Amino acid sequence: MNENLFASFITPMILGLPLVTLIVLFPSLLFPTSNRLVNNRFVTLQQWMLQLVSKQMMSIHNPKGQTWTLTLMSLILFIGSTNLLGLLPHSFTPTTQLSMNLGMAIPLWAGAVITGFRNKTKTSLAHFLPQGTPTPLIPMLVIIETISLFIQPMALAVRLTANITAGHLLIHLIGGATLALMSISATTALITFIILILLTILEFAVAMIQAYVFTLLVSLYLHDNT
Amino acid sequence: MLSRVVLSAAAAAAPSLKNAALLGPGVLQATRIFHTGQPSLAPVPPLPEHGGKVRFGLIPEEFFQFLYPKTGVTASCELQRKILKGPYVLGTGLILYLLSKEIYVITPETFSAISTIGFLVYIVKKYGASVGEFADKLNEQKIAQLEEVKQASIKQIQDAIDMEKSQQALVQKRHYLFDVQRNNIAMALEVTYRERLHRVYREVKNRLDYHISVQNMMRQKEQEHMINWVEKRVVQSISAQQEKETIAKCIADLKLLAKKAQAQPELGRQ
Repeated sequence: MNENLFASFITPMILGLPLVTLIVLFPSLLFPTSNRLVNNRFVTLQQWMLQLVSKQMMSIHNPKGQTWTLTLMSLILFIGSTNLLGLLPHSFTPTTQLSMNLGMAIPLWAGAVITGFRNKTKTSLAHFLPQGTPTPLIPMLVIIETISLFIQPMALAVRLTANITAGHLLIHLIGGATLALMSISATTALITFIILILLTILEFAVAMIQAYVFTLLVSLYLHDNT
Repeated sequence: MLSRVVLSAAAAAAPSLKNAALLGPGVLQATRIFHTGQPSLAPVPPLPEHGGKVRFGLIPEEFFQFLYPKTGVTASCELQRKILKGPYVLGTGLILYLLSKEIYVITPETFSAISTIGFLVYIVKKYGASVGEFADKLNEQKIAQLEEVKQASIKQIQDAIDMEKSQQALVQKRHYLFDVQRNNIAMALEVTYRERLHRVYREVKNRLDYHISVQNMMRQKEQEHMINWVEKRVVQSISAQQEKETIAKCIADLKLLAKKAQAQPELGRQ
């Protein structure tokens, strides 16, 4: 059971070749580009949604921060699509791998922070001390703020990994419970199945929310630093 | 072409510039004419209006048509259309085979698959049409906006044309304006002329009146003077003696008159 439970999280290989590359690249196929004025419904809806999200997310930034629009929009589309595709049966979700999420979180966070230190050194250093702290507390508070700064990329990566992995595990476990209960008592199996349906709805929401949260936090770090 | 001529001229003029011949191919490439073929990407061919028809969202309709000659149909009743039952039997048999031979194993994943796919199908069935309409509306709005711009531009130009035409028509009617102005000026001139005429008349009359009044005055003065002179002379001519005689006569006459007057009333009373 242990082996089966975590089987969906091993990196997929086919005949010794890493399939994971193709799996990571696959969601880009689902966002077609089109040069027409009037597109089919699929492309129209995607363009409308992208416009909505980018307006909502990038309007708080100044022009220097708005140069990050392409990065952040690609990020939210990637995380959202990989999370949603991972909910299909027998699929692999790249965002369950901590390595991948660290690979996304650390460069983006570091980029925001280093931009802040390069361009607005005083303001960035000032972030280490919140306003209105009593004088004796200053050294400790600086240490705490430094720790909280350096924990940001870890938090980003681990948050995403943990949420998605936990969701997948729960679905698997409750599915297993339904399967086991079917031979014992059909009513309990039915109740468990209803729980499973509710959980699925939750997971769909979580998939999109996590993408949003990740991108929002990166944008927030950017806002502090531009 | 010209650059090649320049290059050869330069090479001939200064042999050290022969190194410039290395640039020759680049220059040749720069002078080659591009885009001579027919444009193959435009106009873009139109997209089909609807996608291919599918059953269960997965299996195209052509599959059912393909199996029709082999498996036939089952008519449920004469009035109903004939339903193609072949592929359904094939599908059911396939699924049962996979399940019974455990080629497809029922795992916890199966239940999550059932719930996920069920949820997705429910969402698509419930909101599919409205989302499609929303997308169509977005496109329509885009086109309507551009169409509005086009119509506004056409209307603007049409208004300009109409204004130009009305201006030209006005120019045709300009002579009315000139006639009216001409009439006004003629009337003004006439009025001025008559006014002056009247003034002349009045001035002349004034002068003539003056002469007449002068004459009248002269005559009056002469008359008065003559009368005064005559009176004076007459008064002078009346001497003192004549005056006494005249006065005595007047008194005698008066006495006679008084007597007559006294006699008369007595006669009257009688």
